[in-house]
Amino acid sequence: MAVKILLGNEAIGLGLVEQGCRVATAYPGTPSSEILAGVIKHKGLLEREVHTEWSTNEKVAYEVALAASWTGLRAAVAMKQVGLNVASDPLFSSAYTGVKGGFIVIPADDPGPQSSQTEQDSRLMALNAKVPVFDPSSPEEARSMVQAAFALSEEFSIPTMLRPTTRVCHSLQGIAVDDALPTDGPPTKARFKKDPVHWTATPKLRYRLHIELNEKLRQIEARFAASELNYILHGDSSSKVGLIASGVAFETARQALAELGVRIPILKIGTPYPLPRRLVSQFIRGLDMVVVLEEPDACIELQLPEQIGVYGRRDGFVPGAGELSPEVVSAVLAEALGAAGFDVSPPTDDPALQTTIDALDLPIRPPRLCPGCSHRSAFFALKREFGPRAIYPGDIGCYTLGTNLRAVDTFVDMGAAVSMADGLYQAGRLVGESRPIIASIGDSTFIHSGIVPLINAVHTGARFVLIILDNHTTAMTGFQPTAEASALADGAPAARAASIPDLVRACGVDFVEVTDPYSQETFRQIVRNAYEHTQSPGGGVAVVIADRPCVLYDPVSIQEHPIPVVVTEECDGCRFCTEAFECPALVLRSDSSRVDIDERTCVDCGQCIDACYKGFILPKVLA
Amino acid sequence: MHRRLLQGLHPSEGARVSASDLGELRVVIAGIGGQGVIFATRLLTYAAIRLGLQAIAAESHGMSQRGGSVVSHLKVGGIQSPLIRRGTADVVLGLDRNEALRSLVYLKAGGAAFINSDDGLSSEVERQLKRRGTHAHWLPASQTAIDLGSVTVANVVLIGFASAHPSFPFPQESLQETLRVDTPRGQDLNLQALDRGREIALGELARASGG
Repeated sequence: MAVKILLGNEAIGLGLVEQGCRVATAYPGTPSSEILAGVIKHKGLLEREVHTEWSTNEKVAYEVALAASWTGLRAAVAMKQVGLNVASDPLFSSAYTGVKGGFIVIPADDPGPQSSQTEQDSRLMALNAKVPVFDPSSPEEARSMVQAAFALSEEFSIPTMLRPTTRVCHSLQGIAVDDALPTDGPPTKARFKKDPVHWTATPKLRYRLHIELNEKLRQIEARFAASELNYILHGDSSSKVGLIASGVAFETARQALAELGVRIPILKIGTPYPLPRRLVSQFIRGLDMVVVLEEPDACIELQLPEQIGVYGRRDGFVPGAGELSPEVVSAVLAEALGAAGFDVSPPTDDPALQTTIDALDLPIRPPRLCPGCSHRSAFFALKREFGPRAIYPGDIGCYTLGTNLRAVDTFVDMGAAVSMADGLYQAGRLVGESRPIIASIGDSTFIHSGIVPLINAVHTGARFVLIILDNHTTAMTGFQPTAEASALADGAPAARAASIPDLVRACGVDFVEVTDPYSQETFRQIVRNAYEHTQSPGGGVAVVIADRPCVLYDPVSIQEHPIPVVVTEECDGCRFCTEAFECPALVLRSDSSRVDIDERTCVDCGQCIDACYKGFILPKVLA
Repeated sequence: MHRRLLQGLHPSEGARVSASDLGELRVVIAGIGGQGVIFATRLLTYAAIRLGLQAIAAESHGMSQRGGSVVSHLKVGGIQSPLIRRGTADVVLGLDRNEALRSLVYLKAGGAAFINSDDGLSSEVERQLKRRGTHAHWLPASQTAIDLGSVTVANVVLIGFASAHPSFPFPQESLQETLRVDTPRGQDLNLQALDRGREIALGELARASGG
């Protein structure tokens, strides 16, 4: 017996490879990004041939993996929860058509949220799409659920969902792995067979498929009632208060009860949809009060056949938003147990210590663009050129942090910078307002969802400047290659690298310039020309590609040409640079008297020289 | 080796953790994105698992890594739920002074904090900690790391510093072994950093007992 130390996401990757997954696709997004990396790592270690790819978006990823399943191979697709919105079209459709080889969709949910725009619950997406769900409580369980998810998918010809949350994805755990590979014979030979009844089902046939799907779910619910993934802990307790818990909340609740010194029955649900209602009813029947703990929303609670004495997120007994942290779970359980007459003293923090620490007024550390980040140079130049009156639609990626520099005014979802700019232009035109509209989007996000709205904007005659911040990688999620890269996810050479300038021109954009934002004067001149193009009689959308590799991903050019800087004695602490340029390496003294360079974080990019209009930041060689 | 770690894991008197949690160690590691909070977490997790213990560590990824507050939770033994409740951690490791201060509320009465700071903590905080029977130790780990050749090993300096204290019962040998085998990249400097941190603490402890 060997122990592997794995992140939950890597454990899922291991599970997929072990269980004979042959095609694994994904689009990166926190907290899901290490799932595909885990597949790539373990396909090498276990010497399996698996097609792996960072697809251009989640819909593409879903369909590539689905097609593999339709040939009979096992396949899986991973994404963050909002990525499932992008892939929802094939999700809903494929629930009806069914699958052939085992097919698992793995959306990672983000209670909190820690790194997302919503706290949406992918289990509710599955409920809507009618796809069965496995909900792991730990990395170890996530790995083992892969087997159950593939087997169920093949038995019922249905897509299955494995739904981890952040604390499963990003928890590191020692996992006991057998040296011998499992031999349950995943399909190895694949051949696409024409099957018009399923693969090209017309609406009339879809009605029949819907009836079939309902019947599959009925049988799966019965199967889940007998599944060892759902079980009762402390069933011998005489307590009249019980818990129903799934995901990480199950482990958190066990811990909280141990700390409160209380033993009550817990129904652990590993398969929240379709909920094994008979099992749940039996559990509830013997109890006076049941609390449902689940994340991030109410999926089990929604399906409960009887509601009397059952409390959860929907009635507010459990907070309706946010992560079920140990503090929240302890407080909820203490309240429930107190109401039921248990003598428990709810755990409390040390208020005096908290008050003392609050009184220190410690600086809050929001995420910031890294020292040397070329996005900062681009945003700084844009702000100097267009000022506060311009509207700056932004997008999803590191450069969302441009909001710190007041150079991002909106972000909605992937690709929305382009369509929001389009809409802002159209709305402004109607009322005769003409503020400059300067949109920004990253390279990976542009390829993901920016191209289609750009075609729309060009076609409808919108006028705005679009800055494509091309740092040659998907930086925020850990440097996954984009379609522009010369290598694929596993390092194999790409057949052909996409060209963003060519794509932009093909959308019908006449003004396309590529420039390095580190050359701030040139960059400003080019964005000025771009804006003039948007205002000229025959003008339209102007695109400027700010081309500079991410400083973390490719620090070579800075290392080869470092420009160390000094802040001169004249610095008067006016804060212009710390607020408008906002580099973590520019530090205002606590008495606000002046700014110093933090040598520990400074990367010698020299970009802040332009950030002091008084000329007090100088290259060391000149000072 | 194994026994020594377990010996140190008994909750100290006055702790809120009940007897059912014997053999459990909870560590909160706080810092700023880019300081190596995740590396420090992994070093300790690997070391614990190498000793045959169960361990689970919750890491911060994504947006917070861009210079924001980063906090990891590590639990050795006990129920393997990933997060630690406030007021129950045995140890807080602070790679950044302010982030460490913020995380002190995780510390149980009688716990210990090891903090990277150039100039100590606030006197009022120290008074509060003392009232709770909590010990806060600090050293300028970043400066020590810079003197060794790279600020990036401040995290390992701090772990070496903590490992000299009985309240942080990770055996030096298993930390060294982990650095050599599990994270071999840059191991020479890491091993130096571990030793240097430990030396500083042992020096302080010797002076304290001598005086």
